[in-house]
Amino acid sequence: MTNPIDFLSLFGRSRELKSALEQSRARLYRVAYAWCHNAALADDLVQDTLTKAMQKSAQLRDPKARDAWLFSILTNCYRDHFRRQRDMDDIDELELAQDGTPETENSQLQIIEKVRAAVARLPEGQRQVVTLVDLEGFSYIEVAAILDVPIGTVMSRLCRARNAMKSQLLREFGKAPDAQGPQIRRIK
Amino acid sequence: MSTNEFERFSDEYLNSFVDDQLSTDEKSRAYAMINQDEAVNRRVCELRKLRDLVQLAYKHPPAPPSQTRPAQSGNFVRTAAASLLLGLGLLVSWLQYHAPTPSQDRQAIAGGGDRALPIVSADAREIKVLFHLNSGNVARMKEVLDEAEGLLKLYGETGQPARVEIITNGDGLNLLRAQTSPYAERVQAMRARYPNLVFAACQNTIERLSAHGIDMHLLPGTIVIDSGVAQIIQRQQQGWLYIQV
Repeated sequence: MTNPIDFLSLFGRSRELKSALEQSRARLYRVAYAWCHNAALADDLVQDTLTKAMQKSAQLRDPKARDAWLFSILTNCYRDHFRRQRDMDDIDELELAQDGTPETENSQLQIIEKVRAAVARLPEGQRQVVTLVDLEGFSYIEVAAILDVPIGTVMSRLCRARNAMKSQLLREFGKAPDAQGPQIRRIK
Repeated sequence: MSTNEFERFSDEYLNSFVDDQLSTDEKSRAYAMINQDEAVNRRVCELRKLRDLVQLAYKHPPAPPSQTRPAQSGNFVRTAAASLLLGLGLLVSWLQYHAPTPSQDRQAIAGGGDRALPIVSADAREIKVLFHLNSGNVARMKEVLDEAEGLLKLYGETGQPARVEIITNGDGLNLLRAQTSPYAERVQAMRARYPNLVFAACQNTIERLSAHGIDMHLLPGTIVIDSGVAQIIQRQQQGWLYIQV
């Protein structure tokens, strides 16, 4: 795949846009990873997104809307990927659990893995909404535009996603739902 | 409860409140109502915790594979080594110890405090040493820096994998406060020279001193831990050597 940096240089676009896109890379990757839980696929989706963003840069009139615009391109890339490839990843193959390593003995890592597994179990639409809101802090209106769904759908998906996660996670973590872990306590 | 009130306390409404989607007027009304109702308050807390958990879970996603692909075949070995280091660094920072819901206050107080405390040993041969400084005595500060530097230098020369943490609480925290540190330049130089060295400051001490109006800006790169004491106990359980100076 073409490295977006080379691609950008090749076309000699403005340094500002190039830098803005590269600065968005980590954020796009985080959300893409939260959607698919596959580092290689997330990376490819981000590369596709940045390449398409450069090709379509003329569409972006308002630089303030750049973030939402980029994430809407990511949404399309993600959708296209699964349209092309209907054989969805099996949940057992997701890069979530790392059982058998000493690291899993650490409570915080276990929490991270459980939360990722809970997010991965959400239906796709709910997963997208909850990650765009929680990780990127997009407003409901922005999420509606990014995913091209009505705002009411955004709100209902968010409610369902959080209710599902609440029943899975907060009960599981019991008395330590704030994920502090048992051995890290505040001692005054 | 009227239909109107019911709508205010619907899941949609509480989510909107937590996600800051209400107008200023709506929000102030919501605050008042939520504070009056313990059950609703608990639901709001749960929603916030869920949001914090999601943020925690993806704060450090696995390194993208493109960062471990060689850029040019001629530089394969060098690139692979650099990528491996980068991957390891990302892994270590992913495994970092940090409070899952760091408050903005804490970030503001901590100033430049942004480094990670790795929890998990990457190498079984690795020596892990923890220095505990709780004294504001300048001679003690010098002693801890001398000892840590001596060890790091020795391990560096002999190729021994090692990690050293200097945990400060109480008056010892003066070593890491921007306004009081008698060794600010040396701390920065050591931090730059030894990537396996971490300086940590106790959040409890920071809060206590801040409450007295004391400026708690820390030297850049200092990490903040919830409790120095708890961290020391945890480290000892993880097999770290503990040296109190």
